[in-house]
Amino acid sequence: MTAADRGAWRLVAARDFWVRLRERSFLISTLINVAVICVLVLLRASSTSASPSFDLGYVGGPRVAAIAAGAATLGGGAAVVVPVRVVDLETAAAADRALREGSVDVVLSHGGLVGLEAVDPTLQDLVQTSAHDLALAATFDRHQVPASQRDAASDNAPLDVAVLVPPPTAEQTGDAGVAFIGVLLLYGQLFGYGLWVATGVIEEKASRVVEMLLSAIRPRQLLTGKILGIGALGMCQLALIAGFAIALASLTGALDATSGALAAAALDIGWFILGFAFYASVFAAAGSLVSRMEELQNVIVPINLTILVSFFVSVGALQDPNSTISIVASILPVSSALAMPVRIVLGAATAPQIVLSLTVLIASTVALVPIGARLYAGAVLRTGARVKLRDAWGSG
Amino acid sequence: MLELIDLHRSFGDVVALDGVSFEVPQGRIVGFVGRNGAGKTTAMRIALGVLEADAGEVRWRNAPVDTAARRRFGYMPEERGLYPKMRVLEQLVYLARLHGVPKAAARQRASELLETLDVFGSPTDRIESLSLGNQQRVQLAAALVHEPELLVLDEPFSGLDPVGVDVLGEVLRREARTKGAAVVFSSHQLDLVERLCDEVVLIDHGRVAARGSIEDLRASRERNLWRVEVRGVEGDWWEAVPGARAVSRVNGAVVLELSTHADPQRVLDMARGAGDVVAFGPVRPTLAELFREVVA
Repeated sequence: MTAADRGAWRLVAARDFWVRLRERSFLISTLINVAVICVLVLLRASSTSASPSFDLGYVGGPRVAAIAAGAATLGGGAAVVVPVRVVDLETAAAADRALREGSVDVVLSHGGLVGLEAVDPTLQDLVQTSAHDLALAATFDRHQVPASQRDAASDNAPLDVAVLVPPPTAEQTGDAGVAFIGVLLLYGQLFGYGLWVATGVIEEKASRVVEMLLSAIRPRQLLTGKILGIGALGMCQLALIAGFAIALASLTGALDATSGALAAAALDIGWFILGFAFYASVFAAAGSLVSRMEELQNVIVPINLTILVSFFVSVGALQDPNSTISIVASILPVSSALAMPVRIVLGAATAPQIVLSLTVLIASTVALVPIGARLYAGAVLRTGARVKLRDAWGSG
Repeated sequence: MLELIDLHRSFGDVVALDGVSFEVPQGRIVGFVGRNGAGKTTAMRIALGVLEADAGEVRWRNAPVDTAARRRFGYMPEERGLYPKMRVLEQLVYLARLHGVPKAAARQRASELLETLDVFGSPTDRIESLSLGNQQRVQLAAALVHEPELLVLDEPFSGLDPVGVDVLGEVLRREARTKGAAVVFSSHQLDLVERLCDEVVLIDHGRVAARGSIEDLRASRERNLWRVEVRGVEGDWWEAVPGARAVSRVNGAVVLELSTHADPQRVLDMARGAGDVVAFGPVRPTLAELFREVVA
């Protein structure tokens, strides 16, 4: 093999990279990804900044005002502080308006609590307790109970409260968010760019330019160049989108752990490379079996389904990263590129599992690529009817 | 010199090539003729390395063809193919570079060719926006852009208008005569082959049925045919000529095949005796006639 031979795939890769970079579909897919990232990050930003706090309006005399003030005091003194702002609304009409405008969450009056759509149970508890405390204090006053006995009588000693399943900490939900965005991006890139390999192969077959190309270079050089060119574009786009997501998330405060997010982005890019390497030759072989774009669906469905199922299993792993199915999915080569990053980001994957997963994925890629390349080489010059796998294998 | 040596190739049960051998010397134009399905495209694809032979060998300059040699080949496949959405110049530069031409040289060569071949439109037009005739010219440019030493063209004349035919014929002559390229092309337009080619290879059912210069082919198959046109004569006057036999009759003219001992001057005398001779001369078989005879 001469030096020029070795360089042929580079020319192919460069063409596939630049031609696709200029295609409208690249721009559109980048914009869609950016839009999805915006929605996800902004949703997270709004939900994390909304730590519970309430605006409590009231209408009525001093007793109502006292209950409202008491509720605010109780909220401020609670173990987890619940800030309550008290607003005197003066008239029922003003109260109604304030509720509807959303300037207060709940209105307290002689008649009780009124909310717009619902009354938050935390706020309701605070008001209830405040009313109860006031009534009790009034009774104590009436009976002139000494202050020393009052606490015992009202028994305000708080119960010890514990839960078996602790609610997720902010850091953990952050990780789940990162893992979700990651698996969504990975799924999109893996499927989208795999499909691009298949359509690229069909484009060359359908336009018959492949015969021109193969009079100058070998089928395996063409295949290598195509996969590397498209893969490099996918990687660049992923890096671009991940960079955008991290920048947006740190600007809006949706993520604090920027270094963690950077690590996750690097992880996703790494797993994209491995997953794409695994799937790309299969996509190329599938594309080479047919001669027209319309026939693509027929050959792509099995691959499509495999990736889709892997995606859903990986989304399931977000909830339960240590279930048997999550662990198996993170080791099987067809799904590990999607499932393993999720489990790593959630901190569920053990080092031996990661090593095993990488070994299996790389080993099966090494085994699969020559098979895909042989099918491709055997089928790519056969135009017309769909090529049977056995025929492609036989002449590859 | 390109040598195809005893090529065999089957597709399933169909035997496409059954021992095809011929040569294409440098500086010569070889016409490759045969009926549809005779094996022309298969032989060309094997010569280009696009297809593998089941048995046999392709040699270029006395060595087996490898990738480096193949880069010096130019090819026009029967199924024309270029990237429809790629721009004309970009496409030619890309193909030239795949053949190992450096970038700057590829650009220069591609621009020159677009001018020589008279491709209308801008070099930045997309292929799909060109007319069919222009796409054909770009396809030819794609075969020539890396200045190949061997040109293999599968049906290059099909779909060309008469001007396009002349342009292409001129290009092929120049490639062979001036640049010393070995040129082989297939065609069903036998008059063209006759006009352009130094040699003809006639393939039938996967075998070479005849090969050589057109003169040699003629000589090997020449029959002693004379065409005579006589006015004002009734009846078959030639029946009285010894050793003459009518092969065909058209509009008062007759083509006679004479046996070796028959004298054409005697035939003329007999014709003059029968009426006014308007035309008298030997009939040289056209390539088309030779072709029909061979494949019949």
